[in-house]
Amino acid sequence: MFERFTEEARRVVVLAQEEARTARDPSIDGAHLLLGIALTGGPGAEALQGAGVDVVRLRTAIREVGDPGGPLDADALAALGIDLEQVRRTAEAAFGTGAIDDRARERRRRASGHLPFTRASKECLQHGLRQALRRGDRTIDSRHLLLGLLDVGEKRTTAVLDHLAVDRTDLRRRLGESDAA
Amino acid sequence: MATPTDVTTAAAADDPATGLRAIRALRELADRLEALQVANARDRGWSWQQVADALGVSRQAVHKKHARSRRDR
Repeated sequence: MFERFTEEARRVVVLAQEEARTARDPSIDGAHLLLGIALTGGPGAEALQGAGVDVVRLRTAIREVGDPGGPLDADALAALGIDLEQVRRTAEAAFGTGAIDDRARERRRRASGHLPFTRASKECLQHGLRQALRRGDRTIDSRHLLLGLLDVGEKRTTAVLDHLAVDRTDLRRRLGESDAA
Repeated sequence: MATPTDVTTAAAADDPATGLRAIRALRELADRLEALQVANARDRGWSWQQVADALGVSRQAVHKKHARSRRDR
């Protein structure tokens, strides 16, 4: 699949990996790919710009969205008779601070080297290939990657784009989809 | 913090919005605890099969959900 990537699309992937590493995230997900697309400045970035999304707004949104799982709903659990605080205390006694709350736990587990893609972000890349094939394009560039992200609806991508109130239909149109499926 | 014996809470439990919200919260908590315990088991040398057996699911399912990369055999 990668052999069909344009130079620009490869750069997206490299930058996504760097973003994940800098953020000390355990794997490369849709948010990192979005940043990679925006940072590369190719046609995908242009489409994002047209939809009002630039690198600065993306970084802010990613920070504000945080863990898409969100905080645990203590009230709802209490209605079931579950004392979340007690669960938290027990978990933290065994596994340390932030055991059930903190994504950073996962980060410490990974030392160095290549970061893996999440299953979903890999699916996004594959959908990018599918988009290229569907349009009869021989190479995969950042527009296909962005369409792939939109098609799969990966967790963090969805959270970030919702947070930025991005019009998906408009964005797809900018990416050259005549019929927004 | 809301007490489960609160009369209003009990009445609200008939409301599917509240009930489903509780299910969602429970599922999210279960997911986080599962991730914690699967990692714990793996750190202690448990095989994926052993973890799957303990969870009552297939090895493939647990590997797909929790393995970070193909290197995570």
